[in-house]
Amino acid sequence: MVRVKLDHVSKYFGRVRAVDDIYLEVNHGEFVTLLGPSGCGKTTTLLMIAGIYKPTKGRIYFDDVDVTDLPPKDRNVGMVFQSYALYPHMTVYENIAFPLRIKKLPKNEIDRKVREVAKLLKIDHLLDRRPAQLSGGQQQRVALARALVKEPDVLLLDEPLSNLDALLRVYMRAELKRLQKELKITTIYVTHDQVEALSMSDRVVVMNEGKIQQVGTPEEIYAKPANVFVASFIGTPPMNIIRCLYDEKTNALQCPGFVYSLPDQWREVLSARTSDEILLGIRPEDVRIVEPSEGIEPHARAEVLVVEPLGRDIVITAALSEESTMKIVARPGTRISIGERLGLRFELEKVHLFDGRTGRAIV
Amino acid sequence: MDRSTLYTRARRRALLEKLLKAVVVIVVAVIPAIPIWLMYAGLVAQAFSSRVTLGIIPVGFTIRNWRFLWSEITMGLTKYPSIWPMLLNSLYLALGTALIVSLIAGLAGYALSRMEFRGRTPMMQFILALHAFPSVVLLIALFVLLNKLGLYGKGFITLTGVMIIEAALQIPMGAWIMKGFFDSIPWDVEWAALVDGCSRFTAWRKVILPLVLPGFAAVALFAFLAGWAEFILVFTFISNQRWYPLSVYIYNLIGEFKYVDWGMLAAASLFYAIPTIVFFALSQKLLLRIYVGGLKGVA
Amino acid sequence: MRLPTPRGRVLPWLFLAPLLAFVALFWITPVGLTVYLSLTNITFKNLVYFIRGDFSKISLTLQNLANVFLGKDPFILGVTEITVLYVCSVLAINAFYSLILSIAIAFFVKNEALSTFLRITWLLPRITPSVVYGLMWLWLMTPGTGPLYQLFSLLGIHPLSWLLCRPYSQLLMIMINGYVGVSFGMIIYTAAIKSIPKDLINAARVDGASDFYIARKIIFPLLKWPMLFVISWQTLSLIASYEYILIVWGGGAPGTESVGVAWSAGVMVFPLYAWFQAFALGNYAYGAAISLPIVIMGIGLLMFYFKVFGFQRLMQPTRIEV
Repeated sequence: MVRVKLDHVSKYFGRVRAVDDIYLEVNHGEFVTLLGPSGCGKTTTLLMIAGIYKPTKGRIYFDDVDVTDLPPKDRNVGMVFQSYALYPHMTVYENIAFPLRIKKLPKNEIDRKVREVAKLLKIDHLLDRRPAQLSGGQQQRVALARALVKEPDVLLLDEPLSNLDALLRVYMRAELKRLQKELKITTIYVTHDQVEALSMSDRVVVMNEGKIQQVGTPEEIYAKPANVFVASFIGTPPMNIIRCLYDEKTNALQCPGFVYSLPDQWREVLSARTSDEILLGIRPEDVRIVEPSEGIEPHARAEVLVVEPLGRDIVITAALSEESTMKIVARPGTRISIGERLGLRFELEKVHLFDGRTGRAIV
Repeated sequence: MDRSTLYTRARRRALLEKLLKAVVVIVVAVIPAIPIWLMYAGLVAQAFSSRVTLGIIPVGFTIRNWRFLWSEITMGLTKYPSIWPMLLNSLYLALGTALIVSLIAGLAGYALSRMEFRGRTPMMQFILALHAFPSVVLLIALFVLLNKLGLYGKGFITLTGVMIIEAALQIPMGAWIMKGFFDSIPWDVEWAALVDGCSRFTAWRKVILPLVLPGFAAVALFAFLAGWAEFILVFTFISNQRWYPLSVYIYNLIGEFKYVDWGMLAAASLFYAIPTIVFFALSQKLLLRIYVGGLKGVA
Repeated sequence: MRLPTPRGRVLPWLFLAPLLAFVALFWITPVGLTVYLSLTNITFKNLVYFIRGDFSKISLTLQNLANVFLGKDPFILGVTEITVLYVCSVLAINAFYSLILSIAIAFFVKNEALSTFLRITWLLPRITPSVVYGLMWLWLMTPGTGPLYQLFSLLGIHPLSWLLCRPYSQLLMIMINGYVGVSFGMIIYTAAIKSIPKDLINAARVDGASDFYIARKIIFPLLKWPMLFVISWQTLSLIASYEYILIVWGGGAPGTESVGVAWSAGVMVFPLYAWFQAFALGNYAYGAAISLPIVIMGIGLLMFYFKVFGFQRLMQPTRIEV
């Protein structure tokens, strides 16, 4: 169990800034996910923690000891690669035993540890097979076993579930989380799938273009996104971002197709804005459809363009104006028809405002 | 032992490993490479040096060694033929080989790659086998054959005969390489062209041809270099000095000038070797790719 | 899947016809001719009759074959010994040393530019025209002034002449051919090493392996097939190779005496002996007879390789296989 600290770490490849000034602290036994689109630098960061890449700038610490110049083999990390990287010419047993053989442990101890971890991951019946004879899920567990058998201080996983089929992925998500809690190893996980990130992690680090966008618990990331990127990256379907203009005199937002009045308390926060262009964000599932019969005044009206019944919800794409559309999630059974004009309410607690120029969250 | 001591130890070990690797690389790859560097440096130095150098630095820079380019060489009472006809002979041999091989290999390669016919696999196996077979062992029979065809001792015709034989020996490798190139063109591209309205021939001309041009270039280059460097065929089959290509010309110079004029020998050799080095330098990546696909060489 | 051709059955063979014609004339016929010649008594004296088709002056004889296969020629044994020495030594270099060389250049060396520089260096002997290459060695080993000669002298090795004194001449023979042959293995092995997925190497690093350990336990086992391929191909190539030996030891005007140096220097390999008999001494039939075992071995080995390795694998020499 080890604390990992990345102190203003950057990695440049020539002129490309793959990772730009990252500061991150991971605690004992914590499960942290690096989440972001491809090319955001999350895998590069992981490889720096493993020691395969050397940071261009900054230092990396394991438990306050500077490991930046330490080669991977001395860091006691276990890593599961996206491609699993199993040694094709060795059996499953030999693959798992590989790190122990290098340490020159006695034979019977190696045998004990290998079998123990194989049992833990339920692959003990596959020990004599070769990687080519295994299914994707089995290969992944062998890779995991190999990473765990040396009892690493830090466990690193690079999109381990992306090559599995959907059903297996859901199963393994729960398995990995359970395993991590049981073994209490500090774990750093990389993925572009936000569902994985939100469901498995203690904390999530959202990254884009080499920079950290936000660090927080899944709830924080979801409910309090720090900027537009995080807001629109998390959530399926993504948060609606509506471009509006702030009118200081009326303390209201001029939005496509409607005007949204803001409370007085927000005036002060809004004074720190860098532009009058404000982005109004609201998640599709937070939009309330009001029936005329309810007698409540809607904030906006939108014309239904597309209705997608997904079983558990209905996703509606509706047009607020000529150029602006938004998505709404409705309960199954709601009667919606194309062309219908819906009354929508955006409750204040669910509304997010972002600075139109910087993208940072204002409220 | 606490962590930071472990870490310091590990860093030291890492440094040691780096050092060891460097030692291995030097012992295995650098030191034995010294003769190679000496060779080339020596050749270049010697070509421009007025005296035999004891090393690789030219002593007394001169271009007198290159006089074979513009004046006659005499050795005692023997007059050596000028180098220019020899150059033309080499060019003829090399270009002819390149032409014949690219054409025939191109046709064969296309058939092997894109056509369906019975016996395709055995044909491919046969060509691969030819490619691997050390053809140089058939020299004696080829000599007799050359004679039987009436091509021996007939000067220019003999040279042409040698060219044809050289081409014949290079064709299997050429066909193999061309097949590889044709294989690498996806079918979809051709089909797309057909769907877009081309006739089979137009599709071939506008779509396939540009894509295989590098293949043709590669095969032609290989064949050219093979013809340029060819020694043993010419040495054995051509007896008339007038029709020597550069390889045999220089070989003869070695015997006579070895103890007398290293400088000129080096200059002539450099002159002869330059096209090879230049071509190689320009197309290194391409050639390397081809080499892996099909190889031929003496050992 | 191939598009069916309009003139279906005939067209492919039309495309292949020129190749087949060349092969029939210059590959197949010479093989048959070699067999035929070895059974005759054709020398420079009666070659002209054979050409004219006048078989009255030609007789069939088994003498040539007896000399070669039954050892009736007293020199055959010596030549065979030298050939075995030559093939085994150079093969060791071409197949095994080149593996270590490749691992050093393509794996240990991390700097791309340095790696390329070294690769080009080691490729130079192969791409140089043989005559120039031979000349350069003659210069290197010139007694007294040759740089390599001097380097060896510093190590205490200074024979009177590297060319003439055994066993230095044989060592030189092996070196000259070795430097050329090494690049073959290097090309194949380097390509194979580069095709190993990077993640595999990284995983081994994380697992705790040093580069040496990785070379031993991961790279080397994965290169088993390429190595087998190199050994097979090189064996075939080496049993018939003699060009460089001819150039270096036969330096001089073509004629009888020149190859005599190869004799006393102990570098007369089998195919060179055939050449010598045929073109220096004019015994064409005997020369053909000496070539015959090589031809037979060549064909035999090829059939063996095809059977044992299978065509598919032979087509992909650099594929790393488990």
